Amino acid sequence: MSTTQLPMQPVVDPAESPGAMTDRIAAIVLRERAYLWWWLLMIPSATLAGVMVVSILWLFYAGIGIWGIDWPVVWGFAIINYVWWIGIASGGTFISALFFLVRVEWRTSLNRLAESMTLFAAACAGIYPILHLGRPWFFYWLFPYPNTMTLWPQFRSPLFWDFCAILAYVVSSILFWYLGAIPDFATMRDTSVRRRPQLFYGVLALGFRGSGREWRNFRAAYAVLAAIMAPMVCSVHSIVGLDFAAAQTTGWHSTQFPPFFVFGAVLSGFGMVLFLALPLRRLLRLEAFITGRHLEVLARLLLVSSLCVIYAYMMDAFSTYYGAEPAEKIFFHERVTGLYAGVYWSTLLLNCVLPQLLWWRRLRLNQALVWLISSGVIVGMWLERYGIVVVSLHRPKLPSAWGNFTASIWDWALFAGTVGFFFAGLLVVVRLVPIISIFEMREILRKRQA
Amino acid sequence: MTGLLAAFPSEQTLQSALAALRKEVLAPIETHTPQPLEADPPRSVLPLVILLAGLLGAFGTFALEAYATTASYPFDIGRRPYFSWPAYVPMAFEMGALAAVAAGFFGFLIANRLPHLYDPIDESPAFRRASRDAFFVAVRTKDPQQAARARAVLEALSPISLEEFLA
Repeated sequence: MSTTQLPMQPVVDPAESPGAMTDRIAAIVLRERAYLWWWLLMIPSATLAGVMVVSILWLFYAGIGIWGIDWPVVWGFAIINYVWWIGIASGGTFISALFFLVRVEWRTSLNRLAESMTLFAAACAGIYPILHLGRPWFFYWLFPYPNTMTLWPQFRSPLFWDFCAILAYVVSSILFWYLGAIPDFATMRDTSVRRRPQLFYGVLALGFRGSGREWRNFRAAYAVLAAIMAPMVCSVHSIVGLDFAAAQTTGWHSTQFPPFFVFGAVLSGFGMVLFLALPLRRLLRLEAFITGRHLEVLARLLLVSSLCVIYAYMMDAFSTYYGAEPAEKIFFHERVTGLYAGVYWSTLLLNCVLPQLLWWRRLRLNQALVWLISSGVIVGMWLERYGIVVVSLHRPKLPSAWGNFTASIWDWALFAGTVGFFFAGLLVVVRLVPIISIFEMREILRKRQA
Repeated sequence: MTGLLAAFPSEQTLQSALAALRKEVLAPIETHTPQPLEADPPRSVLPLVILLAGLLGAFGTFALEAYATTASYPFDIGRRPYFSWPAYVPMAFEMGALAAVAAGFFGFLIANRLPHLYDPIDESPAFRRASRDAFFVAVRTKDPQQAARARAVLEALSPISLEEFLA
């Protein structure tokens, strides 16, 4: 195709030097006043985060009757949004851990942004199952602690595995993110000239001074943690898939669910990284570090994960007709032609059809188009989960139990609130933490100059 | 105790200074660099610690599940076996991974004696470049003879800066 016409762009502007690069990335954070665009984005995000708090308080007061869920659709927005957010979170871990292990250079300048995205997406995901408990103040019953009821959690249930998986994933993501940021906090401590940032970053850096011993331990520990995080993120999504697959519900009881959920998670994760990286590199003027190369690689990854999802959708349809279960066929016809048919066809359009445009290199390099496709994928993955949760549950095996689902205003309010919380959290990170891993960029520059 | 702190512009110049110091001076030498040294292999006890913590977490969780479902609270679900070990595996894996990551993070802090918020070396104005673009070597000694010798060696290598600090 057109590979010869457009040369491959470098992972970093060759004119950069370690000192200048450090100063430029640090200067973004050390500005005394935030950018105007930062406030323009922060005000609506923080307002929505406030809506989240109100929705949660009202939920605690009134109970989950304020949501649209009822028989037979007992899993509504809480589970859709939980699966959606945890899927988005995965993209960050894939970039920071998996691509660290395969030693690709382009990972370096995206890794901090992707991991920060993981933190807040995982936090948004983590609150939903607790809110969905109905009596959230008893959430600690999920822990296997010695209790006066002499009861244990059900260790054989995927729902319980899921609790453990999310707990492990959220805690590990925070520790992995922080460990990877310690050398940069040290840089910030030494670069800042005012007292308050010096104190702030000094405490966060914990006294890291780049000594030989510190670097030896750092490199060894970081590599091993990356090797743990990469299979962990796959296991988390497989277990989310098992939450569904272990149930007898039509449309769920399928052995392909664990990999299917991993594919979908990766698709939405890469979609969100592109959605954030494209505007941020312009707003923060990071074009020298997040180059066209990065955008192209991400676009290719989006395309690959879209193909994986297409395969899963095809297997989904195939196994419905290959198996001779009448309830599955009724459900599938309902999905394709029924009340929620729009959800199914929009999912296919956004997740399968539109990403095919990325086969063409010219279109991959068109940033506006790539941003639109990745936004579409994020919406499409939400619709996919809507289809899995709501459409399956509204056609149970017994026709007398059929029913529909309509989300309530509080479903939407909490959903919008978590979106606001996610963006508000990311904006705080962009303001306070170097959004590109400075010390890893130094190593890339050294290799370039050698 | 006195300390000497010299800065060099690149890893190569730092390595030649290290070689000269090791030959001439009998005193603890430490480097402070903006990025890991290429010539320095990441040898550390932490991978072993992480492995042991991960195994302990995984097998400990497995044992807890086995104990709960076979001894502490056996529950007959349609004559399924009490010791249903495949169902224990996902949680054992997750808890093993969590234990490993926690051991890696906290092990990193312990192995490096962090947090260590103040050190006399921070008083040197040039030391701020250790996290930016300069490669430092610090020599600490009580022996004035060794200190003088280290100073002579370092001066001969014409570093970017050479400072003394109260170690």
